[in-house]
Amino acid sequence: MPFVILFVHAAAAIAAVVTANRSRVTAVVAAALAPATAAVWGFTALLDPDTARAASFTWVEGLQLGFDFELSPIAALLTFAIGVIGTLIVIYAHGYFGTPEPTLGRFLATLTIFGGSMLGLVWADSVWTLFLFWEATSVTSFLLVGHKHAGSGARTAARRALMITGAGGLILLAGMMVLIDATGTHLLSEMEAVTGTTATVAAVLLVVAAATKSALVPFHVWLPGAMAAPTPVSAYLHSATMVKAGVVLVAIVSPILGGTDAFTYLAVGLGAATMFWGAIGALRQRDAKLILAWGTVSQLGFLVLLFGVGSAKATFAGVAVLAAHAVFKAGLFMIVGEVDIRTGTRDITELGGLHRSMPVAAVVATLCGLSMAGVPPLVGFPAKEAAVEAALGLAGTERLIISAAVIAGSVLTVAYTAHFLLGVFGPNTAGPNAANVDTPVRPRRMAMTAPAALLATASVLGWLFDGTASKPITRAAAALNPKADVYELINWPGATTAFFVSAGIVAVGAALGVARSRMLLDVPRTIGANAADGLLDETLVIARRITARGQHGSLPVYVVTMAFVIAAASLIFVRPAVDSVGELPLADSPGQLALAIATVLAAWGCTRVDSRIGAALALGVVGLAVTGLFVVQGAPDLVLTQLLVETVIVVGFVIGLGRLRRSFPVTGARWQQIRALVAGLCAAGVAAALIAAEGAASSATAPPTERLVTEAVEEGGGNNIVNVILTDVRALDTLGEIVVLAVAALGVIALGRPALMTAKTPISPPTREEVRA
Amino acid sequence: MSLALVFAIAGLVGFGVHLITARSLSRIVLGFALLGHAAVLALLASGGPAGDPPLADRATSAEMANPLPQALALTAIVISFGLTLFLLALARRQHELTGDDLVEDDLEDRAVSALADAEAAETP
Amino acid sequence: MISVHSPIVAVGVRAVTPLAVVVAAYLFFAGHNQPGGGFSAGLVLGAVLSLRTVAGLYHPVNGSKLMAAGIMVAAAVALVPAAIGGGMLDMVVWSGELPLLGKVKTGTAAIFDIGVVLIVVGLVDAVLDGLGTDDIAIETPASTRGAQ
Repeated sequence: MPFVILFVHAAAAIAAVVTANRSRVTAVVAAALAPATAAVWGFTALLDPDTARAASFTWVEGLQLGFDFELSPIAALLTFAIGVIGTLIVIYAHGYFGTPEPTLGRFLATLTIFGGSMLGLVWADSVWTLFLFWEATSVTSFLLVGHKHAGSGARTAARRALMITGAGGLILLAGMMVLIDATGTHLLSEMEAVTGTTATVAAVLLVVAAATKSALVPFHVWLPGAMAAPTPVSAYLHSATMVKAGVVLVAIVSPILGGTDAFTYLAVGLGAATMFWGAIGALRQRDAKLILAWGTVSQLGFLVLLFGVGSAKATFAGVAVLAAHAVFKAGLFMIVGEVDIRTGTRDITELGGLHRSMPVAAVVATLCGLSMAGVPPLVGFPAKEAAVEAALGLAGTERLIISAAVIAGSVLTVAYTAHFLLGVFGPNTAGPNAANVDTPVRPRRMAMTAPAALLATASVLGWLFDGTASKPITRAAAALNPKADVYELINWPGATTAFFVSAGIVAVGAALGVARSRMLLDVPRTIGANAADGLLDETLVIARRITARGQHGSLPVYVVTMAFVIAAASLIFVRPAVDSVGELPLADSPGQLALAIATVLAAWGCTRVDSRIGAALALGVVGLAVTGLFVVQGAPDLVLTQLLVETVIVVGFVIGLGRLRRSFPVTGARWQQIRALVAGLCAAGVAAALIAAEGAASSATAPPTERLVTEAVEEGGGNNIVNVILTDVRALDTLGEIVVLAVAALGVIALGRPALMTAKTPISPPTREEVRA
Repeated sequence: MSLALVFAIAGLVGFGVHLITARSLSRIVLGFALLGHAAVLALLASGGPAGDPPLADRATSAEMANPLPQALALTAIVISFGLTLFLLALARRQHELTGDDLVEDDLEDRAVSALADAEAAETP
Repeated sequence: MISVHSPIVAVGVRAVTPLAVVVAAYLFFAGHNQPGGGFSAGLVLGAVLSLRTVAGLYHPVNGSKLMAAGIMVAAAVALVPAAIGGGMLDMVVWSGELPLLGKVKTGTAAIFDIGVVLIVVGLVDAVLDGLGTDDIAIETPASTRGAQ
């Protein structure tokens, strides 16, 4: 089934591209169908959790290459969320992009491919599969952020996102390789808990990788920039799905690395720092979309903090907040997009009175916002409640620190929620509209409002039917931490400590938020974005410097450089070669020694003879001497072929070079000759070392002659084993080889017929302006 | 494998590389041809000791030279044959266009280099 | 063209041609059991072409056609087994008694080798065509060596 769904995504992407310009509805339906199938499959998995759902495709067994998917309880939950939100997002995108929109096909296709990658990522059981789809989400995210590529802002943001998440992907790979080494398996479901230094190294690498993807401090700088993407992308990738990949990574490795101090400290530390910094960032913004983006950063920090703590209750709370956040944050982003489209701005200093002109959007946004703040009657409340309880349920210093972080973070969350809701929908208290004039709005687009309204309804229903909603969450949490299976969402806990703490959080946060919305602050440029961009620029400068030095234009310089690099890289073979030289016999027969000397002498002659024809003849002598060596070695086929080849080559030399001057042109300066000589000596040394080392290695094992002979006679039907190998065993290679010959011959014909190449004048290099253009 | 073969291969590679660092295309052709010989010999040498021709009706498998590297070497001979002929055509063409068969410095490469240098200097 | 207009050479080349074709045929059929094969046979035929070109008896213009035919033959041998349900390049061996020749053993590998022969002959043709289109003053000693 996973492969079917991935195939449906691929097919839908192609269909969307093909049909978008002819029939917009077909394209939208095709693109919506793919996530819908995933949603259905995820839903059946939630209904029937006891059936194992896994699929594998093995490509190369010994290398563990292939795809391994397994639908764990948390993957089932995420599959359902990704599928449902994905379907809604496609419908929303239909409303978001005005008609006609020439890039819609490309957009829907990339979005669908992203959806497939994200599903592959959450299903992945094999580390390699995980890595592959992780990178696929980075790349599709890059494409989607840069969708409006005409603007340099989008391009810069896309590049920054790709650089950070791409680097994170490599770190993930490194960390996973450490884990594979330590556990001996590449399947996540089979990995045992790891301890010691290995675990520390793996923990650092994996948490950092998660931090790049989930925009944790200090890698968060790409996420606010990514808001340059069209809003459907922000709602889908940068709130509900892709940025969760890091959190999910932390969650799924927590059973393996949870016992490691480094894992706990790093995850909790980064999580807490991100939670604060993100919330403060959100409070400083005036752009409604950026408030939400920074809010997402903060929430991601909160999630990583919860999974980092790793207690049963915290794990449960983490899964609950993860699910609730996907629902409310996607809805909020959709509303921001609608506000943007209908008023033409997202700047809260220019918006006023939208609660009158956009009442449905205001209600939806308020419901989603209250879920974010953790206020009943919305599903965000029991989730946040569980988190507070988890923090209060710890012991000692840990209890103090974690509780303080959770409470402070939650207060700020309530504050920026109020900042957002009042700023967008409340009366304008700052800026040019401060006189409380209502911002004019364009007509509503149902395709934009309806998906957001559905998500808001889901938040309410999640609170009402808390028992039903908590089942998959409890199951997912129990898969990560078996002790978590006793917890569930409780929509009205009564007078518990946590409840009073929550009430206090909401009161203080709301007061802060209202106070903030009355102030007008300047928005500073994202700290750290400069650093990221600077790093990229510096890389480009270094690349240009290397090009300027290395792109010399002289063939001899290139060849000599290559020779020296290969020589340097081969130094490691010198030692085994020296050892093995002593083991080799001087020669298999006296004739071989004589022929070897003759070969080298003739080759030397090739370099010394000044006349072209003389050099060609010397080459012929080399060929004859080498043929002699074939005779000694016992290779009659090579002898025959080499002699015939030699004949044709001499014909080629004579008719091809006949018109050239008889002697070679005078070679350059003395230092150039020395350079060539040194290159030659190095090459000779390397060749000798490599061959001698290889000889020692190959003499240790007997060649499989016996088997080759039997099979050649019985299956190939020939006694000349070399020929049978060429025309039967390696027939595909031979086919390729004759195609190469044919291509070379076509080149000879083309070069030889002046009519085919008429450029008699040398081509002048382009000017700098031309290159730029 | 014997020291004689190691010597022959090293000599061919050395003189071959020496020749392909030249500017004259006909020397480069010679260099590639020598490198081709070296590759063929190296394939043979790595296959084990010398022996009888690998013909199933004339020798037993114990006395036979390893046939597999011979098959690989045959392919190598053919490919270097094609390469040599193509380079000869290239040399001839160069002669037609410029009156000699020298490989000039690539002015395009120089332009790219100069451009990259200028851009690196421009960036603050 | 690269030809020496000498009646003696022309007569000699005419005499040698059938001999060389026989040698090529021998190499071709011997290939499966003894040294030889399609590549060697093609080179011998190519040498005949070179000789005839030098003697002014042949104009090398068919290189690309020969090579195209060769690639098609080889590709057919490669793909037909796959098309009828086998693996790509599966080879079949036939053996039987023929009048005059006695016991004969051959197979699709021989057809594959025909493709190789065509390509090699086409290659030599192309070399004569591409490298020798203009009149070239050839030093006599070199030309005799090349013609052997």
